[in-house]
Amino acid sequence: MSTLQSLNGSPFLLGFLFNHEQVRNMSRVKRRNTHPGYWLPLKNVQKKDDKISADNLRFVREVIQDKYKNKSPLKGSELQIEKTEWDPKTKRSGVIARNIGRQQMWDKAGNKIVCTVLHVLDNHVIRYIPPEEYVKTSRGAIHFKNKTPLGCLVVGAEATNPEKFTRQYCNLFSEVGLLPKKTLSRFIITPNAALPPCTPITAGHFLVGQAVDVYGKTIDHGFQGVVKRWGFKGGPASHGATKFHRRGGTIGTGRDKARVWPGTKMPGHMGSERRYNRGLMIMRINMKYNVIYVKGTVPGATNSMVRIFDTLLPLRKLKEAPPHPTYFPPEEGTQKEEDIWDSSLHVYGSPSISV
Amino acid sequence: MLRRVVLQTFRQGLAQSFFKRNAASLSESAVTQHPIETSEEAGAKSGSKQKNGDESGNTVVVAPPEFRFMYPEFLPDPTMERRNKLKEKLERMDMLQRRSIIEIPEFYTGSIMAVTVADSNSPNKFACFVGICIQRGGSGLQAWFILRNVVDRQGVEILYEMYCPLIQKIEVLRLERRLDESLLYLRDALPEYSTFPFEMEAERRLNNSVVPINPIKVKLRPRPWLERWERQNLQGVEDLNLPQRYYDRAKEVAKPWEKYDLMLQYRKTIPAEEQEKIYAEVHSQLQQQDLKRKIKRRRGPSSEQ
Repeated sequence: MSTLQSLNGSPFLLGFLFNHEQVRNMSRVKRRNTHPGYWLPLKNVQKKDDKISADNLRFVREVIQDKYKNKSPLKGSELQIEKTEWDPKTKRSGVIARNIGRQQMWDKAGNKIVCTVLHVLDNHVIRYIPPEEYVKTSRGAIHFKNKTPLGCLVVGAEATNPEKFTRQYCNLFSEVGLLPKKTLSRFIITPNAALPPCTPITAGHFLVGQAVDVYGKTIDHGFQGVVKRWGFKGGPASHGATKFHRRGGTIGTGRDKARVWPGTKMPGHMGSERRYNRGLMIMRINMKYNVIYVKGTVPGATNSMVRIFDTLLPLRKLKEAPPHPTYFPPEEGTQKEEDIWDSSLHVYGSPSISV
Repeated sequence: MLRRVVLQTFRQGLAQSFFKRNAASLSESAVTQHPIETSEEAGAKSGSKQKNGDESGNTVVVAPPEFRFMYPEFLPDPTMERRNKLKEKLERMDMLQRRSIIEIPEFYTGSIMAVTVADSNSPNKFACFVGICIQRGGSGLQAWFILRNVVDRQGVEILYEMYCPLIQKIEVLRLERRLDESLLYLRDALPEYSTFPFEMEAERRLNNSVVPINPIKVKLRPRPWLERWERQNLQGVEDLNLPQRYYDRAKEVAKPWEKYDLMLQYRKTIPAEEQEKIYAEVHSQLQQQDLKRKIKRRRGPSSEQ
């Protein structure tokens, strides 16, 4: 069913289908696979009961410290970045963030706005793969079949103790000289938005008032029945209904085809699916704590990881140049604002609204 | 004499509930500062900054334990899956910012309050409502309270979000507590218990340190009621005079083991150590704001002249 496959990725049609009612569609589409890609190295240390003496353990820790002690976030002046121009067709890097909860704010008219708080963790660029090379990879070949190839930026977030990971995984970062990151992500970018390795990406990468797309894995509801999973109405609660309150009912006609169609809506695993919430507006950025407040909700539970990109939606796309290729804080002197609010919001420190 | 006993029991109850939650973690000095004391002694100590000695010998500033009752919305929602320290910290900063503009006073369920809100539909653009606080809840910027009053023989309840910028003023006209944490039974009570005049003025507290408990027992209207009040173990309600079968059924349905369920209590509350940290973080700013307001109030009448 190729048309349904194309529907799977298309953001515009999904936006049309998912209107004010919660419609749970796409019963015929393969929804998830839970196995990691075969090309990825083994990440976590499997055996943890290494009988290592206290002295040796201390030595191992010293070695780790020595190896990584000189690596600190680089400043803009230290990186060799070519001065490239932003144009509306540029695709910039995205950012890995953690959804830390929801907070409500009010606009200047007194209306409540519920925002999701996204904490941009310590993102660093791991490597840049130019278009010619990326097309040769298995993933790149699928992505750019019959299209002009674009580059790929590998970004990592949340530096952790190397003891937790395997050597193969740590080697991904040691070439660059970074502490191994818990999360890795690829961002497809145009070559003019390329960044050198070890570049930090912060919350300032985005502009207040800009629309973003947030990608995440939805809340895992586990095995769910047909009422919650597909929005069925079930049966009557009383009036003599015998054991038919939350069941599906008929699953076929019996006549033509004389079988159950593949993709029939039935109970099953619900959630933990990759979804994009598109066109969310950034209401506020806190530069000091690297936190972005985005209007609306994002896929996934609190404290789960999401990826944030500039939006694809044509009417909400960026029209003015954002920090390109990324934001670098000023060295000294000009202290930029720590907490930037959208102009429509009521700032908490300002006087009460009088209508 | 009777009133004095009532006031003392409140103070004892405060200390006891504090002990129950903090049993393991409290240091010596904090415990000794809250014995069963008379109201006069309480007056001297209540607003003070306590300094607990740390193990290393450094003084650690700790907020007074009353803060847990005066500012309960600073404590986050205890659901572990949704907690995040950074988000809670940022939310507290926003709350303090809002509190620097408007005074959100200490109040409890049972206090009578007057709230002025900016309202475009109102003739003079501000709407004022006076009522008794029947319930309060929410944490952080979502903190709310419900005020109830009876206007032209019609019961009216309004839910106010404490940090909404449309609110111009929150004034506590009478600060007191009742025997229950939630006064939703006033909906089924005789209307005189929920009626308060809109022209009511703020009453001066006789004793600034202790919040009096009003031991009133409210009379309910005859059934049908909105809830099964006989199942809720209400203290502030007069004898319900129901047939015995209601009480029998209430006993069958009751869960008397819940008061022994430690994990249930643990999941519903923030641990004492965290509470101390949270209030230690915010109390200096809250005290400064309080001080500024007091100075302004003293200067206010003289500056107007």
